[in-house]
Amino acid sequence: MAKVAAAGAIPALQAALAAEDAAIFGYGVAGAHLSGSSQSAAAQDWTRHNEARDTLTAMISALGATPVAALASYRLPFAVDDAASAAALAAYLEDGVTRAYLGLVAVRDQRLRTFGALAMQVCAQRAAFWRGSTQAFPGLQS
Amino acid sequence: MVLASAAALPVLLGTASCRSQDVFTGPDPLAGPPRPAPDVITLQAVIAAEQGMIQLYRAALGGNRAAARARSLEPLLAEHEQHLARLRARLIVPPGASATPAAQASSQAQASSSSSPGASGSGGAGGSAGPVHGRVTVARLRAAERASAAGLVQRLGTAEPALAQLFASIAASDATHVTALGG
Repeated sequence: MAKVAAAGAIPALQAALAAEDAAIFGYGVAGAHLSGSSQSAAAQDWTRHNEARDTLTAMISALGATPVAALASYRLPFAVDDAASAAALAAYLEDGVTRAYLGLVAVRDQRLRTFGALAMQVCAQRAAFWRGSTQAFPGLQS
Repeated sequence: MVLASAAALPVLLGTASCRSQDVFTGPDPLAGPPRPAPDVITLQAVIAAEQGMIQLYRAALGGNRAAARARSLEPLLAEHEQHLARLRARLIVPPGASATPAAQASSQAQASSSSSPGASGSGGAGGSAGPVHGRVTVARLRAAERASAAGLVQRLGTAEPALAQLFASIAASDATHVTALGG
């Protein structure tokens, strides 16, 4: 029964994986325009997204599905050419990953709901760092 | 011939050793109001916890009007007020019924607990909507936010999907408040 519930979460897991892949790409772009502690923070966040991507890949494979592949490149939402736009991109990426994990919270499997909710918290905290402010409803359309 | 009337009914039931559910096929009219659904009880408790969090912030701001502190706390308070508004919008209260009957029972239990935060899993350390006791420091707010986030995650499993997503989003907001408060 638990396996059936978890298998029903595959689309949500794939969406989260796709978001993580996009974030990994985007942080590569953002990091090139940052320096000092900001660049260190971006490097850390890039590493965390890689780890999350590996976790999701393993979860999807364990459920018998083929993890979606990362794209060769991703279209950026706006031009990134300085530290401010790089930070804005990082916040945008984290918002996107937060939204993706929100999809996981809606699945039937309770463990996956918790996994998704905790991932949302981490991403929302990073988004707040890059944006410089908090939000009332991370991941939800306002 | 016996006239069936409200006065005669108890006599009729008593005489025939009937129970009301033997006579009526619908919901038992003598059984009292139905119990609220689990999601309603959960939502009422989360609303009470959010009210408690707002009380905590107002106490923190009321006791110390230093501009710098107000600037850092007021945006977080505003977000909790948004949380409360959206949670309340999910609750439909029948006319004449209390908005938070279960939560009031919960808050009475909370009010008797110590002022140390993190004690409850109800979705908020300041889960009581009653008066705030003791000094409200930034550390206390931070602990309350942490407890609120953890409590909301505990409630995800049994909530219907859309409500679970709202809880998770509010928990994520609470987590960002922990960081904003120096956590």
